[in-house]
Amino acid sequence: MTTQLNKSATFRVAADVGGTFTDVVSFDEATGESSYGKTLTTPEHLVDGIVTGVQKAATPFPGTRLFLHGTTIAINTILERTGAHTALLTTKGFRDIYEIGRINRPDAYNLFFRKHVPLVKRSLRIEINERMSARGDALIPMRDEEVAAIARDLRMQGIKAVAILFLHSYANNDHELRAKRIVERECPEMFVTASHELSQEYREFERTSTVAANAYIGPRVRGYLREVEERIAREQFKGTFFVVQSSGGLYDVQHAQRECIKMLESGPAAGVIGTRALCERLALRSAIAFDMGGTTAKAGVVLDGEVMMAGNIMIGGYTEGLPIQIPLIDIQEVGTGGGSIARVESGGSLRVGPQSAGAAPGPVCYRLGGKEPTVTDANLVLGRLAPDRFLGGEMKLDRAAAEQAIRDRVATPLGIDWVDAANGIIQIATTTMSHVVTRVTTERGLDAGDFAMVAYGGAGPLHAGLVAKELRIPTVIIPPSPGHFSAHGMLMADLRRDFVRTWFRPLANADFNEMERIYHSMEDEGRLTLERDVTDRANITTMRRADMRYVGQEHAVTVDLPMQLFTARDEAGIKQRFDEVHAQRYGFHADAEPAEIVSLHSSVIGWLDKPKPKRTPRGAPSPEAALSQKRDVYFTESGRFIMTPVYARERLRPGMRIDGPALVEEYASTTVVFEGDVLEVSEFGDLVITIARS
Amino acid sequence: MMAGAGRGSASPVATEIVRNGLIAITEEMKSNLMRTAYSMIIYEAQDFTVGLFDPAGNTVSIGIGLPMFTRGMSDVVKAMIAHYGAADSPERMEPGDVLITNDAYLTGSHLNHITLVVPIFDQGALCGFSVCMAHWQDIGGALNIVSRDIFSEGLQVPILKIHRAGALNRDLMAVIRMNVRIPERAMGDLNAQVAAVKSGARRYLELVGRYGRDVVLDAIAAIMDRSEALARERVRSIPDGVYLAESYMDDDAVDLGKRVPIKVKVIIAGDAMTVDLSEVALQVKGFYNSGEAAGRACCQVAFKCLTSPTELPINEGSFRALNVILPKGTVVSAVKPAPMQRWMTYPMTVVDTIIKALAPAIPERVIAGHHADLMTVFLNGRHPSDGKLFLLPGGLTGGGWGAKACEDGMSATICINDGDTHNSPVEQIEAKYPVVVERYALREDSGGAGHWQGGLGTERVVRAASEFNFNTQVERVYCRPWGLFGGHPGSGNQVVVRTNDAVEVRLTGGKVQGRVLRAGEAYILRSGGGGGYGSPLDRPIEPVQRDLDEGYITKERALGCYGVVIEPKTGRIDPDRTAARRSDLRARGGLIAQRDNEDAGALEATIAEAPAGRFFTDGLMFPLRCC
Repeated sequence: MTTQLNKSATFRVAADVGGTFTDVVSFDEATGESSYGKTLTTPEHLVDGIVTGVQKAATPFPGTRLFLHGTTIAINTILERTGAHTALLTTKGFRDIYEIGRINRPDAYNLFFRKHVPLVKRSLRIEINERMSARGDALIPMRDEEVAAIARDLRMQGIKAVAILFLHSYANNDHELRAKRIVERECPEMFVTASHELSQEYREFERTSTVAANAYIGPRVRGYLREVEERIAREQFKGTFFVVQSSGGLYDVQHAQRECIKMLESGPAAGVIGTRALCERLALRSAIAFDMGGTTAKAGVVLDGEVMMAGNIMIGGYTEGLPIQIPLIDIQEVGTGGGSIARVESGGSLRVGPQSAGAAPGPVCYRLGGKEPTVTDANLVLGRLAPDRFLGGEMKLDRAAAEQAIRDRVATPLGIDWVDAANGIIQIATTTMSHVVTRVTTERGLDAGDFAMVAYGGAGPLHAGLVAKELRIPTVIIPPSPGHFSAHGMLMADLRRDFVRTWFRPLANADFNEMERIYHSMEDEGRLTLERDVTDRANITTMRRADMRYVGQEHAVTVDLPMQLFTARDEAGIKQRFDEVHAQRYGFHADAEPAEIVSLHSSVIGWLDKPKPKRTPRGAPSPEAALSQKRDVYFTESGRFIMTPVYARERLRPGMRIDGPALVEEYASTTVVFEGDVLEVSEFGDLVITIARS
Repeated sequence: MMAGAGRGSASPVATEIVRNGLIAITEEMKSNLMRTAYSMIIYEAQDFTVGLFDPAGNTVSIGIGLPMFTRGMSDVVKAMIAHYGAADSPERMEPGDVLITNDAYLTGSHLNHITLVVPIFDQGALCGFSVCMAHWQDIGGALNIVSRDIFSEGLQVPILKIHRAGALNRDLMAVIRMNVRIPERAMGDLNAQVAAVKSGARRYLELVGRYGRDVVLDAIAAIMDRSEALARERVRSIPDGVYLAESYMDDDAVDLGKRVPIKVKVIIAGDAMTVDLSEVALQVKGFYNSGEAAGRACCQVAFKCLTSPTELPINEGSFRALNVILPKGTVVSAVKPAPMQRWMTYPMTVVDTIIKALAPAIPERVIAGHHADLMTVFLNGRHPSDGKLFLLPGGLTGGGWGAKACEDGMSATICINDGDTHNSPVEQIEAKYPVVVERYALREDSGGAGHWQGGLGTERVVRAASEFNFNTQVERVYCRPWGLFGGHPGSGNQVVVRTNDAVEVRLTGGKVQGRVLRAGEAYILRSGGGGGYGSPLDRPIEPVQRDLDEGYITKERALGCYGVVIEPKTGRIDPDRTAARRSDLRARGGLIAQRDNEDAGALEATIAEAPAGRFFTDGLMFPLRCC
């Protein structure tokens, strides 16, 4: 065992705090059993919800060895603009970089476009008379006294956090490092963060935005994590506390209190990590992770056992968002979910989303004041959801109201009947969601048809079969408790640190010694931080990648570089790997063109041993024992309502086979098995659906 | 209004599914091109446009790229249909073809814009076109001059096949390779474009395969009908009438100081809009001309901005309610052999002027003038590291945009010719080229004062680390971004050269051809601010105080243009005394503001030129002192 040992502590607990619900999954290593606790998030005091959730999952804190946490506090602090009073120290001449941004206008015809709004106001963006060259030479050396005087002044002004960005700090971080030490010395209580600690990639605006966001959320996130630490300590938790990063990797809570921005999207990332673990247990090499909830659908990809990564994200959307430049799981998102509103717009077109009824007022059938029909209402009137069985029957749905809304607001204006209208709403939602899947596959040079799709989130299992059919995906897998899948994924995560360092070099001139030195320095730093939590060094591995491009090209692609290429100093081998990746992603490559390196990536992974999923041998194929009712459900292929068997998921057993059309119901979601599709229950309880070719 | 959007074989649901599909295809083409392109101008500046077209060449969906390219691609496709359909054409379009041209008078733009077209065949029947236009960094032609005809501007490729039935046209490739300065890069961009158009064709065929040719074409027709209906509805909400506006360009870089008038007439009648560009200046000697497609695009851009700015896909139907009157031979409908290199510059001011014309009709939907220039520089020289030629298309600094009826103008944003165009990171430019950027900042006080203030321009100071040739073609130094309804104009664009004895030489115009900058010398680009909206005396004092505190405006501006009174000890605006002073100023017609907000540099230059009668056009748009 690799983490701090406590023989009697056998639980690992994952708590995923979302906007509406706090999901807790607890896994007992002694028995191999999982238990779940779902509770409303307590925005005033998030930690209360966590403790309640853990109690609901009937897990004792003293018996818990690992506490894994995913939280939306980081992203919400930015979206709600509730962060600290923050200052930015930057290179003389460049304080407006953060406000100027990239000058683009994505809504090109919109005279009323808006730009991003920085988290640090102009008067607190303070210039320091220093300058590095692109090669890392100090053109203007920094004077420590200048920084110290400014730091004292900021303290007087009541500033709580300071971000530091100097140009070309990826080439030489000396000035940033010194400035950080000076500010820390002068203002010991302040949250201080320098850009090179988070990103050593070129692009000054993106790096500024990243470090400023880290500073802005720092005090609040740090306070929150300390509060959780203290609270669970009071509950007699004695194990290790890890936080999930947007990369899907874990980092320890001390680290998380410094590099707060790295936990931005921990929930969605954990879902993809869960997908990877699921691939492993079902011996799949690749899969699409498809997560559909109330307001959005998200997609990520596991390719050959590795999660596909991206280098940045825009918080608040592409048009007005703030970029964060850190390695994270490549997750694409579209504003289509169960709450998406269907609307006939002027001119007579039917649109579904991106407006969402959300949880309040919610779909018409919730009877919480929603007037406009949603995707959930369409599923209800088509019989896919049952009015009296939603959330295990805790919430009654109003079918008549849903039908009326679809008639009045969609069917009548379009001159079609209400069944076609409801079915049309779902078909349109299906196509928009299939496009989000192609954004992570087709646009990356991958064929969605080569993948299995793992579907989760409350609404994922309802729609996965249709999205799969649209994209000719042969297999859909619904894991156990799809509504808790992100929390479950956290249990499957490993410790991870990612580094990226910009290093512009033509490949032909790349000095392997220097490259080796850079990789080593990143790897050493990674090992150092992981060794505290991973006692067996053999469980720490490293991965090398590089961003490369043809000389003269602007955009780089990330190429995995196996270690033997470095040992053999195989420049031609690196070029060949790059050509292959380029050809795969973009459909062409140029053997004869020279390549250049833009950035070196290193990932250091501390492997934790994972919960062993419980395996139950397959039994008889007949699902008869799980049948709970039959009801009328509409299916497109037949174009009519069909009396359809409905099965209770908790009574399904490995080996059972169900021929579509059929429904499988469980507490927070319903799986639709469409006509011609065949479901089989895996030894781990997954629903594996083979999609008929249309 | 139609009952439902279905048409022929396409139900409303199918129509929406096809609509989503078309948008996704053009987005995919766009990302394929961006990620594979060699040139910074394609990737970072997004100087490209992709699209799908119906069998007649009408626009089905455009993924921009450049907003100004709403017209040119369709015109190219139609010309190709005519070319290969002509009775005397030795060959027809066939499956596997990739067609090419950069005919400037077809695209309406310059020779750098290479358009590739794939005719898409479904079981032998033509069902559409997949098209990609992208800017090549170099197409040959002379450097460091103002060209006087198209022949000086580089290689002209007529309508040809670069792939014939799947086979590469090696002869044509050889001609191109021989005529461009950096063939590897051109070939790289060409490959990226081929990949993009082919992926568009493939995806479009998949859509046709899934839903059927008739359904897809009927859905497209329905989408166009609906876009038309939407646009007509919006036009109907504009009061009928004839609306005029005028502005001018500084000059054409040949007849220095000779203003080039831009006069537009907009006629609203019911649900149709006519834009009459008959009185726009005739084509000029210098390379600021653009072709008819650009002139029409100006009207389309203004029309779309005012009717359905965020409606997708961008398609032919959106423009059916628009009529354009555009005789041949103007600066935006130039004919051969007019030089076209800087085609993009004048049309921006034409768009702004059309919007200005409609200000009295729809004050809440228009915007005050913007800086209206790309603010580009073009550097070339020998790189000190390897002695090789380098070409750096730089600049793209962004500038101020006009204020609106409800909001201040945006600062530091790309002009209306471009959309999702990015500036280049300073860290990247310095890593690749022998320059040091000393400063990239907002230009304080550059936004026009107003109840709503214009956005700020930027200032970029770039020092030469080794000697190179410096070119820039900045317009609108004199014709400053106008304000509306009493708002002041923003600062004009400016170009300055700083010599090694630290003297800043403010150039009288914004145009520099091949000036040698020695190591240590610098150029400074200052982009204009946006025009203000409404009287500055009506601006509440809170935003004035905020702008003062944050350093967006100076105290002089606050006192001079906004008529506030500042308590010297605290630096706070005194509300009561401000109210009194403002009411006094109003009684005197706001004279103080006019006296204090003048651009000393522009004034000096215009006085110098006024005796030669070169300052005003016959419209006398701006008094010597703008505000």
